Amino acid sequence: MMGYALKRLAWVLPNIVVLTFLLFATTSGWLGSPAAMMLGTDASPAAIAELNRRFGFDDPILVQYLRWAGGALVGDFGRSFSTQQPVGAMIAPAFPVTIELALWAILLAGVSAIVLNSLVVARGAIGALSTGISIIGVTIPNFMLGATLITVFSVWLGWLPTTGWVPWAEGAGLHLKHLILPVLTLSAFYFGSFSMVYRAEYRAVERQLFVRVAAAKGLSESAVSFRHVMPSAVLPVVTYIGLTLGQLVGGAVVTETVFSIPGLGRLFVTAIGSYDYPTMLAVGSIILVGVMVTNLLADLALAAMNPQIRL
Amino acid sequence: MTARGFRLVLGAVLVGVIALAGLLAPWIAPHDPNASGAEVLSSSTAQHWLGTDDLGRDVFSRVLHGARISLVIGPAAALVAALIGVPFGLLAGYSRGRLNQFLVQVMDLFIALPNLVLALIITVMVGATLVNIVLVLGIVMWPEMARLVRGQVMSLRETLFIEAARAIGCRPFRVLGWHVWPNIMRIVAAQLAISVSAAIFTAASLGFLGLGLPPPAADWGSMVQSGFDYLTLNPLLSLAPGGAVALTVLGFYLLGRSVE
Repeated sequence: MMGYALKRLAWVLPNIVVLTFLLFATTSGWLGSPAAMMLGTDASPAAIAELNRRFGFDDPILVQYLRWAGGALVGDFGRSFSTQQPVGAMIAPAFPVTIELALWAILLAGVSAIVLNSLVVARGAIGALSTGISIIGVTIPNFMLGATLITVFSVWLGWLPTTGWVPWAEGAGLHLKHLILPVLTLSAFYFGSFSMVYRAEYRAVERQLFVRVAAAKGLSESAVSFRHVMPSAVLPVVTYIGLTLGQLVGGAVVTETVFSIPGLGRLFVTAIGSYDYPTMLAVGSIILVGVMVTNLLADLALAAMNPQIRL
Repeated sequence: MTARGFRLVLGAVLVGVIALAGLLAPWIAPHDPNASGAEVLSSSTAQHWLGTDDLGRDVFSRVLHGARISLVIGPAAALVAALIGVPFGLLAGYSRGRLNQFLVQVMDLFIALPNLVLALIITVMVGATLVNIVLVLGIVMWPEMARLVRGQVMSLRETLFIEAARAIGCRPFRVLGWHVWPNIMRIVAAQLAISVSAAIFTAASLGFLGLGLPPPAADWGSMVQSGFDYLTLNPLLSLAPGGAVALTVLGFYLLGRSVE
């Protein structure tokens, strides 16, 4: 196991370096000279040269990258071009917001997909309905679902706030109320894909002998389903969460934009819209590295449970 | 009807209707999609079925014309993804040893990365033109295709007829082109339809996030975004183009899923 972990790590670490380097090289070269950006279009060449020297924009790209990466490792991502704040200080409050949104969405999608499909798997009309809902869940774009939910529950019925975010500190009820629609929106895709993965696994487990024994000794259908099949079928869903985190991040970017939630995704989109490359670079790297590390962890968890994978 | 048949029919109907709408848009659209009128943000009337947007343009006509953009971007991007992904998958499935290990690891790496985030970063750097968006989507989507092809090739590789082909001296290129490829064509075609749906989905998300085709193009994603400020006034400004995206994505997805 240790050997396998080291082997995976020896592959993932260089990849993180290469990817962040590519991201750094392309974003920093992308608008021409950052000095000209900071000083405006009518800056004198002398002023630009002075700024270049002071901030090291003239150094070879590798040196600049190493300087940036060294700072990034201790949380220093430079200053935002648009707000002039340290990027780290902008990310720090956004990070827990995105994590909270994602955790609620995974929890809702996971529990509802597993419970619902344990109840209805392969039972005629209800099974078909659940398949239909899963297909809609994986195909409906987040912005469409978000717009529909806002129109129905906020504009027409007036039950829930349209957009925005209220921190826990300002009232748990208000906080949760603002969370309902975004969490529903983000979890739809996951409900669909969890259902598909879970149903396939459920069917495979259902055919095994121990399930037939449980049924033959007279257990009720729901006892067989929840006590015997579910515990064996649930594992692939858990690892699937780790392996598809990238898609969740994409969904979070759109969902946060729809509901004006001050998380990492919206910070990223705002940075892109305002050509704020230090922020874009920082959030982009955090997302990419986060996804790769989570994948690695999911891989290792899978290998720990199933020795065949280590070969 | 079987579930598979149902998916095929529903998918074909959806894609057919949207293709017709796009094809006939210049003739059936009641208004010029880019002509601003005096009536700004009107709700649905007999003249403007879905109302008008903030510049007084007819939303129904713009949704119809938007089908043309999506139906170019989707298939073109899926084709780019296949042109990269299929050869990669064939090679990764057929090769052995170090080369195989390397190809698989590269593929796994790219599969894990978030498509939308990558597409956002690349698009903002190269600029949102039609050709760029197609290429960017193709580049972020190829690993899915490669993984599928690799899996298929790996299971075929061990069959008797491939062994026979190798035994009579076929070179790898001939084995892959003449013996393996015909057997995986069907499943590649199905995956192609799913890639089309994913490409339209991602392109619309890019548009919604502000990286769609530059105005005045009737880009569905951008239309949803610009209608968002007026949800209380006329939700159709967002829901109509958003619904068009959802139905198109669903149509191609169902087509792809009707082949197992």
